[in-house]
Amino acid sequence: MFMRVSYFASAAVLSLGGLMSVAVTPAMPSAAIALQRSAAPPAPATGVAPPAEKDSVRFAVIGDTGTGTSSQYEIGAQLTQARQTFPFEFVIMLGDNIYGSERPQDFVNKFEKPYEALLGAKVPFYAALGNHDDPTQRYYKPFNMNGERYYTFSKGNARFFVLDSNYMDQTQLKWLEEQLSRSNDHWKIAYFHHPIYSSGEKHGSEVDLRTQVEPLLMKYGVDVVFAGHEHFYERIKPQNGIYYFIEGGSAKLRKGDIRKGGPLTANGFDTDFTFMLAELGKDAMRFQVLSRNGKPVDAGTLQLAAEPKRPAEDKPASR
Amino acid sequence: MTRMLFIVGVTLMSLAAAPQQQGVNPFAQAMVDFKQRVGGYMKLRDEITKKIPEVKETGDPAKIHTREKALGDAIAKARVNAKPGDVFGADMVGYFKQILAEDWKSRRPADRKALFNELPRGVQIGINQPYPPTLPLVSVPPNLLAMLPMLPETLEYRLIDRYMLLRDRDANLVIDVLSNVLPQRDR
Repeated sequence: MFMRVSYFASAAVLSLGGLMSVAVTPAMPSAAIALQRSAAPPAPATGVAPPAEKDSVRFAVIGDTGTGTSSQYEIGAQLTQARQTFPFEFVIMLGDNIYGSERPQDFVNKFEKPYEALLGAKVPFYAALGNHDDPTQRYYKPFNMNGERYYTFSKGNARFFVLDSNYMDQTQLKWLEEQLSRSNDHWKIAYFHHPIYSSGEKHGSEVDLRTQVEPLLMKYGVDVVFAGHEHFYERIKPQNGIYYFIEGGSAKLRKGDIRKGGPLTANGFDTDFTFMLAELGKDAMRFQVLSRNGKPVDAGTLQLAAEPKRPAEDKPASR
Repeated sequence: MTRMLFIVGVTLMSLAAAPQQQGVNPFAQAMVDFKQRVGGYMKLRDEITKKIPEVKETGDPAKIHTREKALGDAIAKARVNAKPGDVFGADMVGYFKQILAEDWKSRRPADRKALFNELPRGVQIGINQPYPPTLPLVSVPPNLLAMLPMLPETLEYRLIDRYMLLRDRDANLVIDVLSNVLPQRDR
């Protein structure tokens, strides 16, 4: 599955290696990184676009959430609000689900209460483990991990591969290869905590994952990868035919941490908390990113083309 | 890195082909012994988990917390006299240090800095203690993990400060400690 990306909107169109066209709305910060430093008070998610296809798989993406702070609750409220316009079926969590102590009341204050309305509406959450998560979280039923550190689940025409990037041992890699090789799903989506590509000043790319995991993602045609760990939003320029997103700013924020002018960034936002909404359609994934005051931060469409993916054609950017 | 992979490869081949041969590889016997010690721990653990069965998926985190603590307490009680190196083994210290040093050398300064940024410092760690629950479990670099001997699912290597630990995942318990195996921060 070779993918092309187009970001439909009004402004300038860029061409990257003949594989991708990008158009950016004026509301979005484009390839440049938004530099405003003040966060506006929360307001309803007015900038949410409705789904474009009737039978698409719709989900929300949040990462580095488990703080129990007001920002987590604000994003929780925005998610609830956004669901009225964009009725997502489930939420994926990119790790650091519970920061600090993991006493029973922490699960209440850092997960159940902030997302109470969604949980009440029976919206399932599917969690990946982060470096702040005790692996016993896999037994916590609302995280839907089936008691496993790494697991897979399917929704419609998509299969999701959820990995434990804290401990990427040979057993997990073997499991991943088996699962990927078995999958004939239209969409293959992977997510885990540590980003293979990142422009973060503090952490940066997890280069070991490029050696151990990325070859499998390429070999078996994974389309999109989500990660957290970095406390901001970043859309990475396509690497080896794969689209990478970082959404680690859903309750923690490291302001100004995205390296300016780096080779990886297609778009980045490190000035306020964010969450993503995504829709997997017949031939395209549409995504939108909103800040905690409901303003659009990024949006676009990844077009899934019919021809097979040819990873070698995309030249990877360096760290 | 290539040299280390070669060493590990030769070691594994030695184990598979002629584990009793002397002088083939300096760490071959040590590796066999290490695996036996890990097996000994697992046997003890299996006995304990008969009385403290694995928790089922639950919406009540108190049940998970209670089981983790009960398992940790029971293992610590059964290993009350455990000392550093009881599982890692004195004969394997050189092997682990060599792998860690080679891995460190193979990394670019930016990667080393990123790893240092992640590692909690100034931490006192001891056998039979819980891994400090408020500290992150720093990701073990996958390339390093690929060179270390594989462990049963319930055990894991962890890096913290300058230590390498063996940790029981579901008990959140430190099973063994290797001290001063990671470089100083100013290097």
